Amino acid sequence: MMIRGIVRISIYVAILSAILILLQELLGTDPKALIQTTLLAMTPLALAAAGEALNQRAGMVNIGIEGIFAISAIAGVYMAEVLGNGYLGLLFGGLVGALIGFIMAVVSIYGKADQIIMGMGLNIAAMGITPFLLRAIWGFPGLHLPPKEVLIQRLDIYGFQISIVTIAAIVIAIALHIILHKTYLGLWIKAAGEAPEALDAAGHNVNMIRMITPTIGGFLAGLGGAFMPLDFFGSITKEFTAGRGFIALACVISSNLEPMGSLGFALIFGLADALAPVIAITPGVKESVPYQFILALPYIVTLAVVAIAVKGRKLPRALGIPYSRE
Amino acid sequence: MAETLSYSMPLALTGLTFAIGIRTGLFNIGSEGQVYMGALAAVAIGSASLSYAGHAHIALTLIGSALIGMLWALIPALLKVYRGVHEVLSTIMLNWTAYYITMYISSQVLVDPARPEKTLSVLESSRFSTIVPGTTLTGGIFISIATALAYYFLISRSVLGYEISLLGSGIDVARYAGVNVRKIMIYSFLLGGIASGIAGGLLVIARPPTYAIYGTLGNIWGYGFEGIGVALIGRNNPIGIILASILYGGIKNGGRFMEYYAGIDSDLVKAINGLIVISLSMPELFRILGRLVRR
Amino acid sequence: MDDSGGRDRPYISMRGIVKIYPDGTLALRGVDLDIYRGEILGLLGENGAGKTTLMKILSGFLRPTRGLIYIDGKEVRFRDPSDAINRGIYMVHQHFSLVPSFTVLENLCLVHGRGFLTTLKGLDLDIVREKAKKLLSVLGLDVPLDIPVENLPVGVRQRAEILKALFIGANVLILDEPTSLLTPYEAKELFRFIKELAQKGAAVIFITHRIREVIEVTDRVVVLRRGLVAGEMITRSATPEKLSELMVGGEAIVRREIATSERNILAGKPILSVRGLVVLDDLGRPVVKGVDLDLFQGEILGIAGVEGNGQSELVEAITGLRSVLKGSVILNGVDITNKTPSYIYKHGLIHIPSDRDRLALALDMKIYENVLIGLQRNPAYHHNIIPRIINWDTVKKAARELIKRFSITAESLDAKARALSGGNRQRLVIARELSKGAKVVIASNPTRGLDIASTSYVRTILRELRDRGAGVLLVSSDLDEILELSDRIAVIYDGKILGILSREEAKRVDIGLMMGGVQAS
Repeated sequence: MMIRGIVRISIYVAILSAILILLQELLGTDPKALIQTTLLAMTPLALAAAGEALNQRAGMVNIGIEGIFAISAIAGVYMAEVLGNGYLGLLFGGLVGALIGFIMAVVSIYGKADQIIMGMGLNIAAMGITPFLLRAIWGFPGLHLPPKEVLIQRLDIYGFQISIVTIAAIVIAIALHIILHKTYLGLWIKAAGEAPEALDAAGHNVNMIRMITPTIGGFLAGLGGAFMPLDFFGSITKEFTAGRGFIALACVISSNLEPMGSLGFALIFGLADALAPVIAITPGVKESVPYQFILALPYIVTLAVVAIAVKGRKLPRALGIPYSRE
Repeated sequence: MAETLSYSMPLALTGLTFAIGIRTGLFNIGSEGQVYMGALAAVAIGSASLSYAGHAHIALTLIGSALIGMLWALIPALLKVYRGVHEVLSTIMLNWTAYYITMYISSQVLVDPARPEKTLSVLESSRFSTIVPGTTLTGGIFISIATALAYYFLISRSVLGYEISLLGSGIDVARYAGVNVRKIMIYSFLLGGIASGIAGGLLVIARPPTYAIYGTLGNIWGYGFEGIGVALIGRNNPIGIILASILYGGIKNGGRFMEYYAGIDSDLVKAINGLIVISLSMPELFRILGRLVRR
Repeated sequence: MDDSGGRDRPYISMRGIVKIYPDGTLALRGVDLDIYRGEILGLLGENGAGKTTLMKILSGFLRPTRGLIYIDGKEVRFRDPSDAINRGIYMVHQHFSLVPSFTVLENLCLVHGRGFLTTLKGLDLDIVREKAKKLLSVLGLDVPLDIPVENLPVGVRQRAEILKALFIGANVLILDEPTSLLTPYEAKELFRFIKELAQKGAAVIFITHRIREVIEVTDRVVVLRRGLVAGEMITRSATPEKLSELMVGGEAIVRREIATSERNILAGKPILSVRGLVVLDDLGRPVVKGVDLDLFQGEILGIAGVEGNGQSELVEAITGLRSVLKGSVILNGVDITNKTPSYIYKHGLIHIPSDRDRLALALDMKIYENVLIGLQRNPAYHHNIIPRIINWDTVKKAARELIKRFSITAESLDAKARALSGGNRQRLVIARELSKGAKVVIASNPTRGLDIASTSYVRTILRELRDRGAGVLLVSSDLDEILELSDRIAVIYDGKILGILSREEAKRVDIGLMMGGVQAS
């Protein structure tokens, strides 16, 4: 499994390099800048998708990642400014995400709530909460720039800039892969999604597993959310999530619920995301292709990739079905 | 009250879109994008001088909105039926795509040369006029209610409506009953697209004073997602949806005033909508509410 | 084994067990039960008597509403199956508790590693394999450890379940209807094996509704009826008649009628003819591998076989719910191969499916709406003038008539189908399907899960249909049902028809052998 994962990742990297070279030839884009932006754009997607892959393996669904992104981003920036430390801001964003994930799990397990409707409700609520908090905390509804000191410093490796969170995201995806396929917890998670009654009969607590994975997933989504203003953009705007929570879901679905595969798809979608601003400033293109069409590119790419990748995917038998003995 | 009804006009329609999806067993949240496309079609057709059309101009505009909404809904329908792409994902991606298409066309193609912050306004011949002077309530409300009633009749009395309900209660029983599952799924998306397309059209041709789309899309934004709450409160029944849309219209109208007078943000209204949806995701809560209402 | 009759102190005592389900069903109304070491205890009762509920309480799946459990005289409370497992109590459920996509080894790991400290530990595949191999050799069982459970035959899956139970050191083994998915030969093997277990000192509780099995394998039998203990006896002193009386109470015991059809049914052309049928399952594997069948007017053709030998796919292919890869289905001279269900029904074939709650009913729709399933395109139920608009008054009238004629107990037409009991749901399905007036009826496990009254009612209707000249294809995994109703019996094994016997030449033993894949000589 591990080796196959590495092979798969290498194939992605090869394809992406080919695309990059092609773009350089055709458009004259700067490949270094493009790769740097791609990795930044990949990071929140990869974090959230790896966690959600784990979560869906356990038979739970959280389509509220978009909402967690938004809320934990604000929470993260706020805490970073209060404590004067970006890393603590990231951590706080993650904790807020974990709390949301945990509450959603409890409500869906014990309140028998429909997870899809609840997740969508969270997304909708976040659309209002985000601008409200922006104004309530910082006085501007549209945009807030956190002070430079709290932004996460990028690592500089021979002139190539990479965020430490990006590295963390890659490590986390690998770690979740190992947990899922090599450890007892992973076995329990897969059983909770495939045959919760069998997990129960074996003397394990199905609902406990199904509260752990949304909490982990929520934490990672929260981390990804806080990463965007504290590192990726360096700013927070009203609509900054821009469907990225759903693109993370696309990574999960396309990878057949594999954390490492999710990382690969996050890289593809990250490229589409990074490409848009790069193309928009490329001479020759910016005159001929409307700016708005370039901004729509990530969504069209996502839809196309999912349409190609998703056919014939086998989902866990008990996905989204609450477990009850009686 | 008139203002409340004016807000409820598009909400009843976007509520229908979500409700008919749920009744088919689909989580169709593509209303938002279909509204944008419907509005765009309304501006394009409504601002064209079709002097020979006379009073039919208004009808042509609405039909155009309905058609473009339907076409936009056809994409997730085909992706679902032939590629197995989950409708949550496809409709959200298409909402964003529609958002940028509308942004582009309203700022570059159909822009008002005199006032670049908005599109051309539709001509007099394709406008609904106000029925309560001094408010924004127009005859569009009748289109909205009539559509909801038509959907009610369709769902509860027609073979198509019955097959939709059967599919919603389970794909296996639908197949057993001889329902063409793919066809009914596509029809469900298309019916949803028509309702939201009309909603978008009405937002342009039945909402004074601008009769246009703002470049920010501010005047057509958000109705699709609010429709989810409307449908859930109305228990996915068109009659219930008409009532729920009035309730929502009231909240929106109230939110507008709150912002105006007390400085409380209308964004709170959006947050409240989300919280309503979250609370309605719990069927237990539904039952308790039902018991309270009956008392 | 002889001293298991109650002289010792019981190992486990259940006292005054009451269970009320959240929906208000009163499943157990105060049951006392003693279990001794080294005995095989039969727990006999009809469907719904409370056998499974009682044992789910003992194995920690359900908590009793009232009542206490004692082990060795000490009170215990089980919050979860893990509490029962820690006390050595393990229940093998009717449809097993194995993760289908896992291998047997991974399923064993599921019970091997438990508790918080193992959470992030690597899987102990080698240790588990060693232990499993040792157990298998001690027990004399053969279970492949590295094949996903979903690819194993049912009999092997059950052995894997028992292996799992013994792997965790269970000394109280509960088996819920363990023979329902086994061939007679596999059942014999199982009986031999559990007798050995009991001799080694384990307690085995055997849940069944089959009197024959109780007499064959148990030492002592407790009969449950409607949530109460109806009687208890040492098996040696029990007779089938006595047990049957205890099981059904005062209700009339249905005598087996021997259906001997005098008519020469084989004359004339078949009304349904299946030739060389090949059908794939959901995973794309062929599960019906060239089936030929002829069904004639005025006969019941029974298809006997252990579940999972292709009969459900065969039925789905004939009724248009699954596509046919090769071969043909001719109904009354019309080719219905790969036609839609509505086309097939229009040409005179109706389907009473095995999984009625999922296929034949929309449980969350109203009762009268359920009457229209499959008939929604029939103009008789449409508005007089406007086409494709349903006239609900006509539908309701039809529903009222059916409810009366088939004595369906329903609160109101507007109630949801979910509110109906199992027996009434099946009556509703049969009523509706028969109202379609077809010449060919395909009935799949038509009495599964029904009480005795509804069972005999359904069987009477099938006989009446036959007598009125319809052709009935009866697919059932209940051999007694097949023997009771059929004029001819076909045995299906591994997707092929192994043989077709006439009523007169059908011997239970032969059919049993064929169900296990052994061709009768």
